Amino acid sequence: MSTSARQSALTSIFTSTLLAAAAVWAGDGPPDAGFVAARELEVQLAKQPAIYLRLDPQRRVLEIRARGIALDRVDLIGIELVSQQAMLRPSLPASPQIPALWRVKQGPGDTDREVIAPTELRPMPKDDEEEAPAQGAGTAPQPTATPIPEPPISYRAQLENGWDLWVTGELPPQGGMRSWIAAIKDGWSRVRGEIVDVPPAITLAMHGDDARRIHHLLRTGMPILVTVEAN
Amino acid sequence: MIVESPLALDDAPEPRRSRWWLVALLTLLGLLVMAAAAGAYLLRAGRPLMSSPFIADSTGYGFDQGPQELRRRAIAAEKELDQVAPKSVWIVIDTYRNRLHVVEDGNVIRSAVCSTGTGRVLKDPRSDKRIWVFDTPMGERTISNKRKNPVWAKPDWAFIEEGYLPPPAGSPERFDDVSLGDFGLYMGSDGYIIHGTLFKSLLGRRVTHGCVRLGDEDLEFVYKRTPIGTHVYLY
Repeated sequence: MSTSARQSALTSIFTSTLLAAAAVWAGDGPPDAGFVAARELEVQLAKQPAIYLRLDPQRRVLEIRARGIALDRVDLIGIELVSQQAMLRPSLPASPQIPALWRVKQGPGDTDREVIAPTELRPMPKDDEEEAPAQGAGTAPQPTATPIPEPPISYRAQLENGWDLWVTGELPPQGGMRSWIAAIKDGWSRVRGEIVDVPPAITLAMHGDDARRIHHLLRTGMPILVTVEAN
Repeated sequence: MIVESPLALDDAPEPRRSRWWLVALLTLLGLLVMAAAAGAYLLRAGRPLMSSPFIADSTGYGFDQGPQELRRRAIAAEKELDQVAPKSVWIVIDTYRNRLHVVEDGNVIRSAVCSTGTGRVLKDPRSDKRIWVFDTPMGERTISNKRKNPVWAKPDWAFIEEGYLPPPAGSPERFDDVSLGDFGLYMGSDGYIIHGTLFKSLLGRRVTHGCVRLGDEDLEFVYKRTPIGTHVYLY
């Protein structure tokens, strides 16, 4: 995306917030009770100087917000409840009620970190000692040339409400023969003792680059407001 | 003259061939039955991932309240949100894409490439308890101070990262008047600064220890356009 296109996109994000707010009392009918409850939850979050996420399942949008305004947004490919089920007698979980405030209990933003540690420390060289001088200035920091690993495009975060939040670029194959094949493959893996059960997950399917850019936001305590659109 | 009887030729091999096909057929059937049984067993044992739609159900909220009360609550919530929303000029920093935006009255007036924190963790080899996380902080911060030609008072990690023992506090090695560039905008008092850089080729990458680095022209623009008290939103 070009700089001007990004500028206009950001501008539209900021203005869309104002338009949505205006829509609450612009209509003749009473506002939706769920929407009002969601806005009240957002007031609680917006009073804090912290970033929070707002998930709108109906519009399939995840917004990065602070102080009640959208800083950025991710358009989702889908929102699904994904769980391990027996093919013959599936017992699908019910959707959690919304609006709601979820919080990340533990996420990949906490754990996927590179740790560096020198094995020992040596005294600083004196001015007249020969040691590789820093570039530019005498004591300037060296640029970090080591590339930072790209975050994965599929990962899970635990939520405090007992669910997992699974961010992925691709939903598992569903329907017809693919489900049967997946079941047989899973059964074969279980017979060989290779399968670890995973808890059911609220799954946000999105493009890989979007999954990467929200990876670091899913840290302990990150609030996710699940909202309802105004009617 | 000897005449070979066609019956004599057919008699011996024909029954053997028939039995061979029968055995092959039975074997095949047996294998198919075994495969089907194994498949059924695996199917029964398997628990593949299945998805069901996320249903946005908000029916449990406040439908016993009258429309006037709902309207009053909605307006009150919007007023509170409007009160906390940033006004005039603010800065938005996207630490994944390494972009800084200056926003004025809801319009982006400048977008710049910046560098933000690596996210790495540094451990002091002398003590397991001393660690530093090189994250650019997330959330709202406020420009609390602005300085021309800022001096960097190097903390311990700046030496430990290079493998050196930190010099005593106040020692001349601690002070660096070049690395931060021409301007510094301090985001609070805990050392996070928007500043310049000697390493312009690294702009757009996550290379810092938590500060936000900008190129010279962008830094000057931000310095001149954003007063002390400007809010910075980092994510």
